[in-house]
Amino acid sequence: MVLPIYEIRSLKHSYADQTVLALEHLTVQPASIVGLIGPNGSGKSTLLRLLGLIERPTEGKIFFNGLCVEPFAYEARFQITLLPQEPLLMKRSVFRNVSYGLKLRGNQNNLIDRVNAALSLVGLPSENFARRPWYALSGGEAQRVALAARLALRPKVLLLDEPTAGVDAASAQLIKEASLRARQESGTTLIVASHDWEWLYEVCDEVIHLFKGRKLGTGRETVVFGPWQPREDGDCQKVLPDGQLIIVPKPSHPHACAVIDRVAIARGDKNPEVKAEQVVLSGIISRMALEHASGDVVVTILIANVPFSVCLARHRISSDGFYPGCRIWLSYDRPAVKWI
Amino acid sequence: MDFIFEGFLQALNLLASGNAETYSAIIATVTVSSYSIGCSLLIGIPFGFCLGYFDFNGKKSIRTVVDTLMALPTVFIGLLVYAFLTHRGPLGNFGLLFTLPGIAIGQTILALPIVIGLSATAVESMDQKLGVTIMSLGANRRQLFFSSLWESRHGILAGAIAAYGRVMTEVGISMMVGGNIKWHTRTITTAIALETNKGQFGMGVALGLVLLAIAFCVNISVSFLRRRY
Repeated sequence: MVLPIYEIRSLKHSYADQTVLALEHLTVQPASIVGLIGPNGSGKSTLLRLLGLIERPTEGKIFFNGLCVEPFAYEARFQITLLPQEPLLMKRSVFRNVSYGLKLRGNQNNLIDRVNAALSLVGLPSENFARRPWYALSGGEAQRVALAARLALRPKVLLLDEPTAGVDAASAQLIKEASLRARQESGTTLIVASHDWEWLYEVCDEVIHLFKGRKLGTGRETVVFGPWQPREDGDCQKVLPDGQLIIVPKPSHPHACAVIDRVAIARGDKNPEVKAEQVVLSGIISRMALEHASGDVVVTILIANVPFSVCLARHRISSDGFYPGCRIWLSYDRPAVKWI
Repeated sequence: MDFIFEGFLQALNLLASGNAETYSAIIATVTVSSYSIGCSLLIGIPFGFCLGYFDFNGKKSIRTVVDTLMALPTVFIGLLVYAFLTHRGPLGNFGLLFTLPGIAIGQTILALPIVIGLSATAVESMDQKLGVTIMSLGANRRQLFFSSLWESRHGILAGAIAAYGRVMTEVGISMMVGGNIKWHTRTITTAIALETNKGQFGMGVALGLVLLAIAFCVNISVSFLRRRY
C-alpha cells in the first residue's frame, strides 16, 4: 500500500476557544487531486493553512510522508506550498517575487530560466512582466504571479485556496490549466478549496465536503438550513417560497441543519407514487457535472431556492432524458435525514 | 521687508565666499546629526521591529511609553543630559559637556522614541498575509523575520526621515548641552538663534537655507532609494 502523503489524526483547531475545524482522520494519496467544498466558514482555508504548516493545530497531529510535522519543519517546508485565497505579492519586481522561494532554498541554478518557465506556465510572458513592480499588475495578473512563484518551486504538494475567486474567466482558465500541468509534469499532489464545484468534480480524485469544520461527506449531500416549524404529526417542516414543504424528523433544536443524502429523481407529469415515509418535491435541474473519479454525473436540482444534489450513472442521464432546465420530481426518505 | 531680501543676498554671498564661521556651523550640524541618527537607527530599528512584530505581555504599556517619549521637549532632554554630563553628574568624568558627542547623546535620546515608535507602527501595519506568503514559500524563522523587516522598509525609512528632521532642527539640546561655542559646538540652529538676536539676518537666513538644502538632499536620496528598492 502506498504511504499517504498526508495523514491527519484527531485534528482540532480553535480560534478564541471556538472550534473551527475537527477532523478525526483524513488521508491524501500522493499525486492525487483532492477538492474541498463547503460554504464560507466551513473550515476549508483553516485546513489548508494547517496542511501548509502555516499554523500549528490546537490538537492532533499531521503526518507528511509518515513524519509528524509542524510549522517550519525542515522535512516538509521545501515540499509544501500554499497559494492563499488573497495572495500577497512582496514589494519587489515580478521576477524577484517568483524567484524568492527558489532563493530561500539556495537553488540559484538556472534561476532565470525557471522563473521564465513558471511565468509562461501562467500565461505571463517574462519579457513583458518580469521587470514590472508589484503594484503595476491587475488582480488576475497578481494572482497568476503568485501561482508562478509556487510552480517555480516544483513542490510535492500544492495547496490552492480559492485560486480562481475574483479573477476573470481567462485568468481562471490559465490558473486551472497551470495547476493541473504541475500534477501531470511533476506528480504534484493538489489540494484545492473552491466554490467552483463543477471544476472540482471534473478534475478531482476525491472531493471532501466540509461543513461547520467537520467532514460531511463527498459533496453529494444536501444541507438544508433551519429554522424548522413543528407539525401536528410530530415531525418538522420548512416552508419554501413556492409553498412546497421540506419535511424532516424532529431536530434537536429549531436551527439545526438537515443533511439529506439519499435522493431519487424522476421525470413525469404526475406526482409519483411513494411510500408513506417519503417526501416528494418538484424542482428544476439547474446544473450537471461529470465526476472524474466515478464517471457519474452530479445533478443539482433547485427546489424553490434550495439546491439538492444527486449522483446518477451516465446512462440514466440519456435514458431518462435529464437535462438542465428539465422539471423533475425529487423524493427522499424522511427517517434517513441526518442532523448536524 | 528690505532686510529679509538683503538677508537672502547676504546668505548667497556668505555661502559662495566660503565663510568659515558659516561652514563651521554646517559641519558641526552634519557631524552631530549623523552620529545621533546613526545611533538611534542602530538601536531603534531592531527594538521597534520587535515591538511591532511580537506579541507579549506589557506590549501596550511599552507602546504608550514610547509614544509619550516621541513628544519629549528638547529643552527637557537638554536639561537631563546636562545634569548627567556636568562635572557633578554621574557621567561628568567623561568630559562630554560642551562637546559634539555630548550633543549627539541628547539628540539620540530625542530621535530614539521616534524611530522605535514609527518602526513599530510600520511593522504593525504590515499586511497580515505577508507572513503566510513568506512561510508558504518555505522560509524558516530567521528568513521570515528578515523578509518581514525588508518588506516594512518604506515605513521604517519614513520614521528615519521624521527623526532626522527633528534632530536637524532642534535648538534646546544643542544650546544647553553644546553651549553654542563658536568654532566648536555652534550648530546651524543655535547660530540662527544667536545671529537673529544680534540682528544679523544675513547669517541667519544663510544657515536656514543650508538647513533646507540638507533636508532637500536627504529627501531626494530617500526618494531614489525607494524607487530603486
